Amino acid sequence: MSGLPVLSLVVFSPLIGVLALLLVPRDNHRAARWIALLASLASFGFSLALLGYNTGGAEFQYREDLSWIPAFGMRYTLGVDGLSVVLVLLTTVLSVVSIFYSWDPIRVRVKEYYAAMLLLMVGMLGVFVSLDLFLFYVFWEISLIPMYLIIGIWGGPRRVYATVKFVIYTLVGSLLMLVAILAVAIAHASAGHPFTFSYETLRGFGYADGLQALAFVAFFLAFAIKVPMWPFHTWLPDAHVEAPTAGSIILAGVLLKLGGYGFLRYSLPLLPDAAVSFAPIVIALAVIAVLYGAMVSMVQPDLKKLIAFSSVSHMGFVMLGAFVFNVQGLQGAIFQMISHGITTGALFLLVGVIYERTHDRAIAHMGGLNARMPQYAAIFGLFTFASIGLPGLSGFIGEFLVLLGAFQYSGWVAAATMLVVIMSAVYMLWMFQRVFFTVPSDWMRRWWPSLKDMNRNEWLALAPLIVLVVALGVFPGPVLDAISGPVDRIIEAIDASQGLTSFRLPW
Amino acid sequence: MELIDLAPLLPELILVLLVLAIITVDLFLSRTAKWILTPFTVAGLVLVGAACIPVWGVNERIFEGFYVVDDLSVFFKAATVVIGVLAALFAPSYLAQRRLPLGEFNAILVFGLIGMFVLASSADLITLFIGLELMVMPAYLLTAFHKTDRYSNEGGLKYFLLGSFASAILLFGISWTYGLTGSTRIEGMSALALAAGPAGIVAIGLLTVGATFKAAAVPFHFWTPDAYQGAPTPITGFLSVGPKLGAFALLVRLFAEGLGGMSADWFTVMAILAVVTMTGGNIVALTQTNVKRMLAYSSIAHTGYILAGLAAFAHAVDPDIRAQGIESILFYVLGYGVMNMAAFAVVGMLQRDPRRFGGLGGFAGLAGRAPWLAAGMAILLLSLTGIPPTVGFFAKLYVLIATVDAGVAWLAVAIALNAALAAFYYLRVIVYMYMRDPEAEPAPIDRSPLGTAALAISVVGVLVLGLFPEPVLAFLQASVSSLF
Repeated sequence: MSGLPVLSLVVFSPLIGVLALLLVPRDNHRAARWIALLASLASFGFSLALLGYNTGGAEFQYREDLSWIPAFGMRYTLGVDGLSVVLVLLTTVLSVVSIFYSWDPIRVRVKEYYAAMLLLMVGMLGVFVSLDLFLFYVFWEISLIPMYLIIGIWGGPRRVYATVKFVIYTLVGSLLMLVAILAVAIAHASAGHPFTFSYETLRGFGYADGLQALAFVAFFLAFAIKVPMWPFHTWLPDAHVEAPTAGSIILAGVLLKLGGYGFLRYSLPLLPDAAVSFAPIVIALAVIAVLYGAMVSMVQPDLKKLIAFSSVSHMGFVMLGAFVFNVQGLQGAIFQMISHGITTGALFLLVGVIYERTHDRAIAHMGGLNARMPQYAAIFGLFTFASIGLPGLSGFIGEFLVLLGAFQYSGWVAAATMLVVIMSAVYMLWMFQRVFFTVPSDWMRRWWPSLKDMNRNEWLALAPLIVLVVALGVFPGPVLDAISGPVDRIIEAIDASQGLTSFRLPW
Repeated sequence: MELIDLAPLLPELILVLLVLAIITVDLFLSRTAKWILTPFTVAGLVLVGAACIPVWGVNERIFEGFYVVDDLSVFFKAATVVIGVLAALFAPSYLAQRRLPLGEFNAILVFGLIGMFVLASSADLITLFIGLELMVMPAYLLTAFHKTDRYSNEGGLKYFLLGSFASAILLFGISWTYGLTGSTRIEGMSALALAAGPAGIVAIGLLTVGATFKAAAVPFHFWTPDAYQGAPTPITGFLSVGPKLGAFALLVRLFAEGLGGMSADWFTVMAILAVVTMTGGNIVALTQTNVKRMLAYSSIAHTGYILAGLAAFAHAVDPDIRAQGIESILFYVLGYGVMNMAAFAVVGMLQRDPRRFGGLGGFAGLAGRAPWLAAGMAILLLSLTGIPPTVGFFAKLYVLIATVDAGVAWLAVAIALNAALAAFYYLRVIVYMYMRDPEAEPAPIDRSPLGTAALAISVVGVLVLGLFPEPVLAFLQASVSSLF
């Protein structure tokens, strides 16, 4: 492995795909699709090398470190720990899946679409492997614009509204985060150290309480909007409903994880005192998000909206697990991110399958699909159960661990959250029933003759997700092993902290 | 009497000769050969740029201390040359479509550059004023350059009247300063002004109003929209950038060099001006449906960001951090210069049909009709918004670093929020280009090779400087160090 810049290859092979796409004639859709698929497969292939990550070895492996802008100590530093490894793999898998799935549905401006998808990949992967706060920010912003275009160009009828809302929301958060990043780096530099944005250097520094509190709030806004956490979630349903299927897969599968990753990688280790002091309010918001997301999901008339709101609920679990500060909670949070990425990605893909056939997603228009599309019903059922958290599928592990962690924090929090396990069964199963079992609606009967079961491409796109959702549910061990190191380090940082001592927060 | 050594004035001298040469050559060129003037002007400007190299590191005061050739001035001059070259490249085809004389344009443009050179090098309030007038007189002329167009005339007249008014205020401030302190020298002004007591504050107040008027800060910005809208589009690009560069050269000279010693006294004013300017500019830009006007208003917002750099300078105590404030101004002015001129050039390219006025509709569906042009414009707009990896992002970052480092984090927060606000109207153009269908009768696109090439170079520059700003940073930091 020595010598080969694996991480750079993972991050930038999609970029090579973008450059290759520029040379393709506009109407050669076939070439554009193949280039995009090959570029994403290359990135995926390189990311497989990360399976060689040594859980007992150094904290950050596959490191690359180059000088970039020395005037401000900005460096091109890449490296991965277990947390990054699992998220990078999730990203490459889901990117390949969504690029492959887009083969048929995307028919206009194909070349630009794939360029945007690949660029999005660069941004997301870069976020997960950066060890320099400035570099991290650059990748963070790079991931924004392609999604803006994907929703805005290939989305549904209200796409412009949705995409502008998405961008403005995210930008407000991220620009404040930029100020916080600068404040943190400058605080470190003004203590007599050389100016640096290196994560590893900035992490251990004891920042003043006031700075920690303000910086925490700024980071929190950026990440909470991305997660999205109640009450910052309002952009998500709009974005999901309008986004094309592959956009939804990436949005739910990976982009939301950027927020969760941000909390675990930056907020907690960088600003442990503030994190400890702010934990109660974050936990409160997380519990609200879990319950609110589930309750709102129950009344959604649109399949995509339902899954979007269930994401709010599931990501609430992530936030809850992250802020109860114990091993189970944190492991559960990370596992939940992976599992949610796979499950929700698959569910959006499945919604896409029916949308391609009927151009509609209203639950009221469905019904009786089981009769016409038995394979589709079976797979949809599998992921419905995974989303509910049925033991044996990946969703169970994450939720169970988070609840275990929450119990150690407070029985009440755990009890309140536990309600959602029932509620999620209600909204998912009820949805499943209305779509697949009841009498077909008159509307659906019109499509009846032309309704075909899943085709080969759809199967191929879903296959890796089916394997993963079962495999992770039965053998969560490898993932839990990989993330145990990073989790221990977060706990260490938190345990060493007394919280903000120089002033009290109102809770 | 000893002879003055004119060697440090080499760039200025070449500029003056260039003006005369352009006028002379223009006389002897037939109508079909006028195009030669563009390469001629560009070559002359490149020569001027080359002449800046031996002047680097000279750090000399000449004309009895009225004129200073230091590294700071060299940076401003180099930036001026870049802007001048871009203006000379973007304008010709737009002017030709409207039968406007190229020779006069080039001559007036270069004349304006002389004013900017003098401003950058002024060591005395008198020189400062002369430089300013040398710069703005051509700017008035350029605004009214489209003689038969009433908007152009109106804009020029408004610009001239309000500009003269501002010049008068500035001049009044200079006379107060002289009356109180007995000196018009910039260096050491603050000590004398402080000694003068309250009357000194009046003098400084007048100078501030005059100077911020020229930089188009809110509430002294009212001349900008009409002047910018009326002027021929590529000229608007130059006007939004060139005189701004000059105005900031003036502000840096006056406030950093002259009044730096009492910066604690004017910090609050500058900080408030910065916030009001960026917010005001953005809010008005939000409501524009005409891209040309939108860019004009947004240039006010950018003035606000740059002023924040000056406020950072004022608030900091440590000389390194003070230098950072000035550096951020210089970087921003340069980066903004390139990206904004290029953005205006794109608007101009969509005005091949002279009845087109740069409305948003003209941009509808541009991505389908001219994918490369749309992509270039998208990059420029993202840069203006401040999204990495572009020069606009790094410029904002520089100001943010300066403000946070100086301990005025609230100013940084104001910039961050404003940048998000600005995203709304900049991205709206991208929405039109990429997410709407073209109009029934789409605006014809001007694809002159010269303008296109200059645009391509600007876009690449915007990206490269955003990713690898280091060479410029080194130049910048070295030039600012001559001030401290």
